Amino acid sequence: MQVNLLRFILLLLVLTLAVVSLDASAHGVDDNTRLFLEQNTGVQFAPFLYIGAKHMVTGYDHLLFLLGVIFFLYRRRDVLLYVSMFTIGHSITLLWGVLADIQVNAYLIDAIIGFSVVYKGFDNLGGFKRIFGRQPSTKLAVLIFGLFHGFGLATKLQEFAIPEDGLVSNLIAFNIGVELGQFMALAFILLVINFWRKLPSFQRFSTLSNTLIMSAGLMLIGLQLTGYYIY
Amino acid sequence: MTQHVVSSKTLVKSCLAATVIAALVFIGIILPAEYNIDPTGLGGKLGLIVLSSTTEQTPSRQPKDQPSAQAQQVIEVSVPAGKGIEYKFHMSQYEKMNYEWLTDGEPLYFDLHGEPKGDTTGYFESYAIATLKEMKGSFTAPFTGSHGWYWKNTSDQPVAIQLMVEGQYEVIGLKP
Repeated sequence: MQVNLLRFILLLLVLTLAVVSLDASAHGVDDNTRLFLEQNTGVQFAPFLYIGAKHMVTGYDHLLFLLGVIFFLYRRRDVLLYVSMFTIGHSITLLWGVLADIQVNAYLIDAIIGFSVVYKGFDNLGGFKRIFGRQPSTKLAVLIFGLFHGFGLATKLQEFAIPEDGLVSNLIAFNIGVELGQFMALAFILLVINFWRKLPSFQRFSTLSNTLIMSAGLMLIGLQLTGYYIY
Repeated sequence: MTQHVVSSKTLVKSCLAATVIAALVFIGIILPAEYNIDPTGLGGKLGLIVLSSTTEQTPSRQPKDQPSAQAQQVIEVSVPAGKGIEYKFHMSQYEKMNYEWLTDGEPLYFDLHGEPKGDTTGYFESYAIATLKEMKGSFTAPFTGSHGWYWKNTSDQPVAIQLMVEGQYEVIGLKP
C-alpha cells in the first residue's frame, strides 16, 4: 500500500513536469512559426511536418479529448480502432477545410472542441447510461468530434495566408505531422495510463479524473467563447 | 475492469464539482490572464493581469480608437530582372512607420526616400541607401508627401520582396 502510494505520487510528479514543460498552446501558433508561415513560399515539407506534430503534441485540447477516449480502453485493438476513427475524422475536415477554404470561426470551433472534452468526460462517468438509459455510440462520437477537431486544425493554418504555391504538399505534410505528433503524445499517455491502471488508485480515482477532464473541458469552452465575444 | 456507470448521486456531484471548479478557475484565473478581465481581483493580486495587458499593446491588437495607425500589413512585390520599382506610401509630417522587408535571397540596391507633396522639381530626400537582402527599421516622415522604397534588381532573375509595414500611412502602391 505504502509502495503504491509512493508510486502514485511519483507518477503525478512526472505527469506534472511533463505538462509544465510542454509549454502547451491550445490556440494559435508561436511567433517563430507565425513568421515562418507568413513568409513561406513553395513546398516546405519538413517544416510543415514539424509544425503539425508540434501543434498536436502541445495542443492540450486535442490531448485531453484523446485521454478521455482511451481512458477506459484496455485492449490495444480498441485503442487502435478509436484513434483511427479520430484520425479519419480530423484528416477529412483538415484537408477539406483548407482546400475548399471553408471559413469557420476559430474560437467557436475551439469551444466545440472543449465541448468534446466535456462530452467524453461525462460519457466516461456513464452519464448517458445513467440519465438516458443508453450510451450513444462511442465510435461515432469520436468520429464526429474528430471532424470538429479537424476544422480546428484547419483554422490554425488558415490564420495565415498560405500561398497557393505548394499548398497541397504543405497541407499533407502538416497532416502527417499531426498524426506523428498524435502518435508520440498517445504513446506517452498510454505508457502512463497503462502503468496507472495496475494500481488500485486507478479505479479509485477514475471518477475524480473524469470529473477533472469535464472541468477542464468547461474551462476551454469558457476561454474560447469569451474570445469569440471579445474579438 | 471495464467502464462502470456511477450512481446518480455521484454523477450529480461530479457534474457540479466539474462546473464549480471550472467556473472558479475560469473567473479567477483564466479571464484575468487571457483577457484582462478581473471580476474577483484575484488576477491582479496574483499578478496575472500582466499577461493579458502586455498582449494588448502588441500592434496586432491595437485599440480601434486610433484609426490612423494601421495594423501590420504584408505587401508582396516582385522586381523584374534588370528593372527597378518604386513602392510608396502617403504620410503626413511626423507620422511614423515601422517596416521590415526581405527578398527571396538576392540582395537588392535600394533607396528609402520621401518626396514632398506637390513638389514638381523632382526633389527627394533619402533616408537609407544600401544593397541588402533584408532590412528592418522605422522612420518618421520629415514632411508630408510620398515615402517609400526604390529597389533595383541587377540580376537576370526576378526578385520577390516581402514588405511588412505598420504605423500611420496610406498605401499609394507601385509607381511606374
